[in-house]
Amino acid sequence: MDEARKDEDQQLVARTQEGDASAFDQLVVKYTPRLYGLVYNMTSNHEDTNDLLQDIFAKAYKAIRGFRGKSSFYTWIHSIAVNMTLNFLKKRGRRFQLSLDDVDASIQNDKEFIEATASSSPVREADLSELQKRLNEAMMKLSDEHRAVVTMFHIQGMPHAEISKILRVSEGTVRSRLFYANRQLQNYLDEFRKNPVT
Amino acid sequence: MDEFNDNEITKLLRLKRYEQPPAGYFENFIHEFHRRQRDELLRQPLWRICVDRARDFVISFNLSTLTSYPAAVTAVLVCAAVISLKIYQTPQPATVAAKDRPVLVVPASTEPEWTLASPVATRVFNTRSLRNITESAKTHRSGTPRYVLDSVPVSYETTFKF
Repeated sequence: MDEARKDEDQQLVARTQEGDASAFDQLVVKYTPRLYGLVYNMTSNHEDTNDLLQDIFAKAYKAIRGFRGKSSFYTWIHSIAVNMTLNFLKKRGRRFQLSLDDVDASIQNDKEFIEATASSSPVREADLSELQKRLNEAMMKLSDEHRAVVTMFHIQGMPHAEISKILRVSEGTVRSRLFYANRQLQNYLDEFRKNPVT
Repeated sequence: MDEFNDNEITKLLRLKRYEQPPAGYFENFIHEFHRRQRDELLRQPLWRICVDRARDFVISFNLSTLTSYPAAVTAVLVCAAVISLKIYQTPQPATVAAKDRPVLVVPASTEPEWTLASPVATRVFNTRSLRNITESAKTHRSGTPRYVLDSVPVSYETTFKF
């Protein structure tokens, strides 16, 4: 973890605990994009993500006086986000509305995106937007806990150790969940490649 | 036919980090956050606000570490003892007032005893009361004695000093 970021977070947390609300605003601005990606890829719905993010930061603001710094603020706020999202998903059940169908327009011009679509043969053969849609569907077929691990590891690029701290499970559990989730995604996408019209 | 391997799935999943909310979302998010906080504050009842303030006060001073559990228990017991003593040692004002009240007696027939030979100090008062208490009690609705507490004897009135 970046030490400079950690120190900056600690200072902002300390100022917030002393009653400086603008310090918490800086934390909100800093962590909103990252937490948006986490919650959005777990819920697949923009409105739900927005409401959850508001609740997450409200809860964090109320609880920040009790934050003693045993873990970093980064881990702490991610733990709140993951737990609240998992609770929300349990309540919501399976009646989700997939709103991730359209890949954002800006992604089409991204360098990594172009390289990825031009290199491997399965990706090249498939219609990209359709593939993204299938991937999203495959993600939503995973259990909430598996989707959380996939989101944090593959999409957010967190290391296993950080994920295990956030979820309060062992690193072995994180690895096994990832392995199982990858197999499921692979099977689902293979199925799509063999039968693209289904 | 090729199959998707882990690397390809990883690449596809990493593309999802480029998915972003509508333009201006992050700029408006903080304003929306402030607005919701204000709304929530207005919806809160007064007692909730007081509890929150008290909790913040305790947390800010870290009183939990200063006061130990036995000290808190002792304080509660002392308070309970003081309150119970106060309750059981308080005199019953109604009974005392009734006992101290002077009985108003008036001679039934004063004329024969008003002589110059008998000064006021040695006058013989008739001890029969003007009103019969037992008869008077029958006028009340309940059979139990009732004490009038709103009348104060003259001797209890404060003297005026100029």
